[in-house]
Amino acid sequence: MGIINFAPKILDPIPGGKYVVNAIDYVVNWARANSIWPLTYGTSCCAIEMMSSSMARYDIARFGSEVFRASPRQADLFILAGTITRRMAPAIQMLWEQIPGPKYAIAMGACTISGGPFIYDNYAVVRGAQNLIPVDVFVPGCPPRPEALFHGLLTLREKILKETCRNPWHEGQPKDVSTMDRYREAAKTWAALEEMKDEEMAEARAKFKEENPDYKSSFKPIRVKKEDFPEVERKPFRRVGLTQLELYQKLHDKFPGITFHTHSEDPIETVLANAPADRPLEVMVEPEDYVAVTEFVKNDPEFKMDFLIDVTAIDYDDHFDLVTQLRSLQIGHKIFLCVQLKKDFSIPEEKRATSLLASVPTVSHLYPAAEFKEREVYDMFGINFEGHPDQRRIFLDKDFVGFPLRKDFTHPEMIRRPV
Amino acid sequence: MIQPRFSNLPPGFRIQRETNTEEFFINMGPQHPSTHGALRLALRMDGETIVELVPHFGYIHRGMEKQAESMSYLQYIALSDRQDYLTAIQNNLGVVIALEKGMNVGVPEKGEYIRVMLQELGRIASHLVFYGCFGGDLGGQTCLLFGFKEREMIHDILEEVTGSRLTTNFFRPGGSRYDVPDTFIPRVKAFLDHLEDAMRDYERFLSKNIIVLERSIGIGVLSKEDAIAYGCSGPVLRASGVEFDVRRANPYSIYDQFDFDIPVFHNGDCYDRYKIRIAEIHESMKILRQCIDKFPKDGPWRSKEKPVRLPVGRYYSEIETAKGLYATYVVAATTGEKPYRIHTRGPSFPHIAALNKMVQGHKVSDLVTIMATLDPVIPEIDR
Repeated sequence: MGIINFAPKILDPIPGGKYVVNAIDYVVNWARANSIWPLTYGTSCCAIEMMSSSMARYDIARFGSEVFRASPRQADLFILAGTITRRMAPAIQMLWEQIPGPKYAIAMGACTISGGPFIYDNYAVVRGAQNLIPVDVFVPGCPPRPEALFHGLLTLREKILKETCRNPWHEGQPKDVSTMDRYREAAKTWAALEEMKDEEMAEARAKFKEENPDYKSSFKPIRVKKEDFPEVERKPFRRVGLTQLELYQKLHDKFPGITFHTHSEDPIETVLANAPADRPLEVMVEPEDYVAVTEFVKNDPEFKMDFLIDVTAIDYDDHFDLVTQLRSLQIGHKIFLCVQLKKDFSIPEEKRATSLLASVPTVSHLYPAAEFKEREVYDMFGINFEGHPDQRRIFLDKDFVGFPLRKDFTHPEMIRRPV
Repeated sequence: MIQPRFSNLPPGFRIQRETNTEEFFINMGPQHPSTHGALRLALRMDGETIVELVPHFGYIHRGMEKQAESMSYLQYIALSDRQDYLTAIQNNLGVVIALEKGMNVGVPEKGEYIRVMLQELGRIASHLVFYGCFGGDLGGQTCLLFGFKEREMIHDILEEVTGSRLTTNFFRPGGSRYDVPDTFIPRVKAFLDHLEDAMRDYERFLSKNIIVLERSIGIGVLSKEDAIAYGCSGPVLRASGVEFDVRRANPYSIYDQFDFDIPVFHNGDCYDRYKIRIAEIHESMKILRQCIDKFPKDGPWRSKEKPVRLPVGRYYSEIETAKGLYATYVVAATTGEKPYRIHTRGPSFPHIAALNKMVQGHKVSDLVTIMATLDPVIPEIDR
């Protein structure tokens, strides 16, 4: 605020000076409350609603906030639009420090209030922006409508109008309150209130029965007519490319190690011939054959698997299943190569959670698309890819402990969903 | 002999080159208006020219796949809204189709028509955001205002049908949550008539604008071979000359009953990626008009049973969203209501992986154009 903060000191001794101070307050607040410039910041869904609110239909310019600044040094307002993850948290604190005061923050959406849909079983999301920076207004919703954001903006305006020269803006402190503690307290209070209500209602009912022993309720529930839905048949699926049986036989002739897992007791040929057309063939490949099979299906003129859909893994008790999903753009058939990787149990038990338990050669020299996908599998499961050009964590910090998509993963900040 | 300037490059950078100029590094993001969300790009520069680019993900990694393991299948449909939030309605269908394969439940004709119509409305909405962001990133804020103007009309329709503007959570195995209201068809018809006129304005703004032509033709060329090798899909792949659309290759729902074209462009530059999306809006309008003509007035809109349990097995579905190939892989280890693992393949991830190939030799302002035409949604990459 600068020089205006000295106005009371200078003007108070002069007769009638207090009225001048009040007038200064009025003018300055009017100007500030009608020109709140937000920072262009958004991580997810709420950012789109924030953008919508500044567009023609909703027109945030009516409240003087249409100037979205890309630099925090020119902004007054920090609209926290979207989920805050642990990796993003330092960036948010830095952005907040870069905004010059007086500055305000609006927490937009459920994620920034408490974690929202990501509150349980989650290792990545910060539960509430108020743990990082002081928040002035909370706007609930998932995502909030533009009207809700405007309500938040108007609430903030009222707060700004209450500031005076004598009581200027000061930066608050982030509230380091665990959201779960507040939830549990609220749940306890709520349960106590419910109990009290039940007791009172029971008393009132008993009293009413004593007073009116002959009373009969005239309430009749309205029955909504139920719609009668007939049974629907499933539509047949148009098959493209080679059938599952042909694909399997051609692969099996070339690589006898390839198998197909089925729970049925019929021979594999019968099972594959009767398999649904929309289900891709998923074959088990030996780890030694993995690169050779991938190379074969990529270059063979009958397969022409030129497109890598995805590489992913599944964690079981004693092994990982690495699934490489391939597709032929020209012919149209798909094949999933499933490699069973035995976990290395020679590693001592206390070190297993943080060490790479299995190893497999990379296919990123055949499919450049596999490079990032394999990094993701390495990051999430802790599978080592031999010969990978750039094996680093991709989604998590480099000092993150553990591999989240393993079934035995634990994290100190993870809360189990109450059943 | 000129020595390589950097003996130890920062992680991710690989090109070893000999130079006598000063190379330096620029950090773009995670808070930057042109990266379309919380994405960080590390640029290695030689003067104004980009030598190499390394993307850093994970600033909006929300651990959805871990969380899904403790949720039921139907709860996961709500999480899929938050992946590609520009077309949440399409993600819903991707998950639901994967579940329907195991639950063995059919969808009545009216339900399928509702699905296709909402899909195409979602596609138009996403492409309109692309139009706005493309114009806005090139410096024309007018386009941003125009793109969001027609999009609000789609949101009105979606709100009337699903009860929500953005995160719809609408489809269920065997149909959808609700029937469409009586006003649905007239509203879509009115919207299409309006959009027909509006599209003329849209194309007049950008398609022959000299600034757009200068800044997008020949910029960020992605060859056909690279596009396939990096796993690109959707408009990015089709702008590079590959005719691949899941709606035509493996038709899901009732896409085999409509007459529409798959627009293909062959240069693979930014201008083609812009033109193909404009062409796709026209194709979507074509499908919607056919839907309006054939829409069944009576009949059921969902199947009789509402299954929630999935038998043991692995289920895979793929659909064509506005961005490209969206695949869902569901693993059920026990017959029950909870998945053992759910994995999503979003279309934006390979596009950003191919970004390094496209920007080499271009300027930073070209990177902004290329990012806009890739149209990535970062939460879908990080999940």
